[in-house]
Amino acid sequence: MFKYLSLILKNSVRSKRRSALTVLSIAASLCLLGVLGAFYHVFFLDPPTEEQALRLWVRNRISLANPLPLAYQQRIAGAPGVRDVMVFQWFGGTYKDREAKNFFARFAVEPERLFSIYPEYRVAEDQKLAFQRERTACMVGRKLADRLGFKLGDRIVLEGDIFPVRLELTVRAVYDSPRDNENLLFHFEYLKESMPGYRGEMVSNFVIAARSAEEVPHIAEAVDAMFRNSAQQTKTETEKAFELSFLAFIGNVKVFLLSVCSAITFTILLVSGNTMAMSVRERVREVGILKTLGFTRGAILGVILAEAVVIALLGGIIGMFIAAGILDLMSRAPSIATDMSRLTLPPLIWGLCLAVSIFVGAVSAFVPAWNASRRSIVEALRFTD
Amino acid sequence: MSETVIETRNLSKTFVRDSFEIHALEDVNLQLHRGEFVALMGPSGSGKSTLLHLIAAMDRPSSGQIVTLGQDLATLDDHDIARWRNQHIGFVFQTFNLIPVLTALENVELPLKLTRLKKAERLAHARTALELVGLGDRMHHTPRQLSGGQEQRVAIARAVVTDPDLILADEPTGNLDAVSAREVLTLLSRLNQEFGKTVVMVTHDPHAAHAAQKIRYLDKARLLPEGDVPEDWTMAATQKR
Ligand SMILES: Nc1ncnc2c1ncn2[C@@H]1O[C@H](COP(=O)(O)OP(=O)(O)OP(=O)(O)O)[C@@H](O)[C@H]1O
Ligand SMILES: [Mg+2]
Repeated sequence: MFKYLSLILKNSVRSKRRSALTVLSIAASLCLLGVLGAFYHVFFLDPPTEEQALRLWVRNRISLANPLPLAYQQRIAGAPGVRDVMVFQWFGGTYKDREAKNFFARFAVEPERLFSIYPEYRVAEDQKLAFQRERTACMVGRKLADRLGFKLGDRIVLEGDIFPVRLELTVRAVYDSPRDNENLLFHFEYLKESMPGYRGEMVSNFVIAARSAEEVPHIAEAVDAMFRNSAQQTKTETEKAFELSFLAFIGNVKVFLLSVCSAITFTILLVSGNTMAMSVRERVREVGILKTLGFTRGAILGVILAEAVVIALLGGIIGMFIAAGILDLMSRAPSIATDMSRLTLPPLIWGLCLAVSIFVGAVSAFVPAWNASRRSIVEALRFTD
Repeated sequence: MSETVIETRNLSKTFVRDSFEIHALEDVNLQLHRGEFVALMGPSGSGKSTLLHLIAAMDRPSSGQIVTLGQDLATLDDHDIARWRNQHIGFVFQTFNLIPVLTALENVELPLKLTRLKKAERLAHARTALELVGLGDRMHHTPRQLSGGQEQRVAIARAVVTDPDLILADEPTGNLDAVSAREVLTLLSRLNQEFGKTVVMVTHDPHAAHAAQKIRYLDKARLLPEGDVPEDWTMAATQKR
């Protein structure tokens, strides 16, 4: 087949405009496929990091909006395999105004536990101490600090909504992290004190750090069993699963992504099938010539298929580079809903998308190629458009 | 008499088109010998091209037998026939039929790609063939950049590059001006005389036929006995001109 490479390559660019259009339409579709594939990968295939694999999240069995009693923390800490448990309380509120650019996630946590449970949060030692020591201190992610210009010592005022309080915080630390780089974290103690009574005794989540990854599944069972007969039942799951449960709000993302991907693949098959059929049809005579020279059916089939694959693969590669560019932009953009900083085009998706292009090229050209190769020489030579 | 290279026995070919039959060849018995240069003539539709195609195993007969270069073509399957044709037959078309995206050199090299020759050897052979047809200086031109006469000479180079025993030409001068036609005929004669190739050429042109040593006529699907000419042939030929 290698011998025919020059014939294959030259044939592929024979009709420049059509080849260019085919390449572009395949590129566009594969770009989309690559981006969706990357999302699918981040959501469902990306293995949790080492630290992440040790963490579990506890929430109210009914829904995220229903809180859990703070008193559960002590009992969870006693479950076998649990190294530590920390309150993780979502604090909505507003900063300055309701503009999207001023939106970021704010959580009340327990700073003395935070860094052992989240070792990936890297902070200068003096800043860490300053943050832990001061009740009204807060810590912000590097990306967020850059975006809104927060500096150490700045005052940040948060106006509560679900919590009817006004928090006056001071930036004491800036953290770097491979992910979640855009959060603001402050003392749960401060929130609790500002909210005497019932609300302060309830929290949205606990984060558990397991002693080892093997114990994670047992912890989930043990914790949920612990509260099975309580008024507030719990749901304990891995951090990865917990993050995915947010996605579930917008429907069955897995099925959605997969069906959009199949639809795209099917569409490119039709589009490129049509062009391939056209380009093969134009060259039926040539098939007759090649056969006269001694080319066998198989060789002709191979040449035509290879040509289609070359075009499709070229489109695929271009599309994937564009997808990689788009994903790079997305991963830098401020994250609103979920953390997108890990969005990249992993080798698996690269490979799959290129496989899809090869598949599209081969399948779309197969029927016309098969028919052309089967035509008798005399018929092929007499063929006129 | 020297070795027989083409022998047909009661060779017939019938095409079926929309439920009616066209008898393109009927009971053709032809015998050609090594080193002959034969012109095949006859009115349009008399079956000349069909006969050439059957000799080259580009098509299968409806009945009868054909032995080309000692090979009974009925015994070969499609794959072997393709191989056989590549090794033993050089075919020249009226419309040149070069591959437009390839250069002259690449076009001539094409049949060699089916052989075991290495790239360098293939190119050396292709160059030799192009020089033989006087196009040593046009190797990297594409068919578009060549004149009709030059294209046909490239096609002849492609036909001879595998060093076949038999050259079959279907109206090779049909699309050429007089000067180019003469060049092509001279070339075919040289291949016949200097290189000992057996040449069968279909032509409508009596002048072209003179390049051959022998003329055989087909008329209404039948091969006329040696020496016979179709009725009204001179008129038909002049009409065609
Ligand atoms: N593939 C085919 N299918 C159907 N009919 C065919 C086919 N090839 C040839 N014929 C018919 O067979 C007859 C002989 O055709 P052929 O091409 O051999 O004639 P020819 O002598 O070469 O004519 P010309 O001088 O016009 O080239 C014609 O009637 C033609 O229409
Ligand atoms: Mg003819």
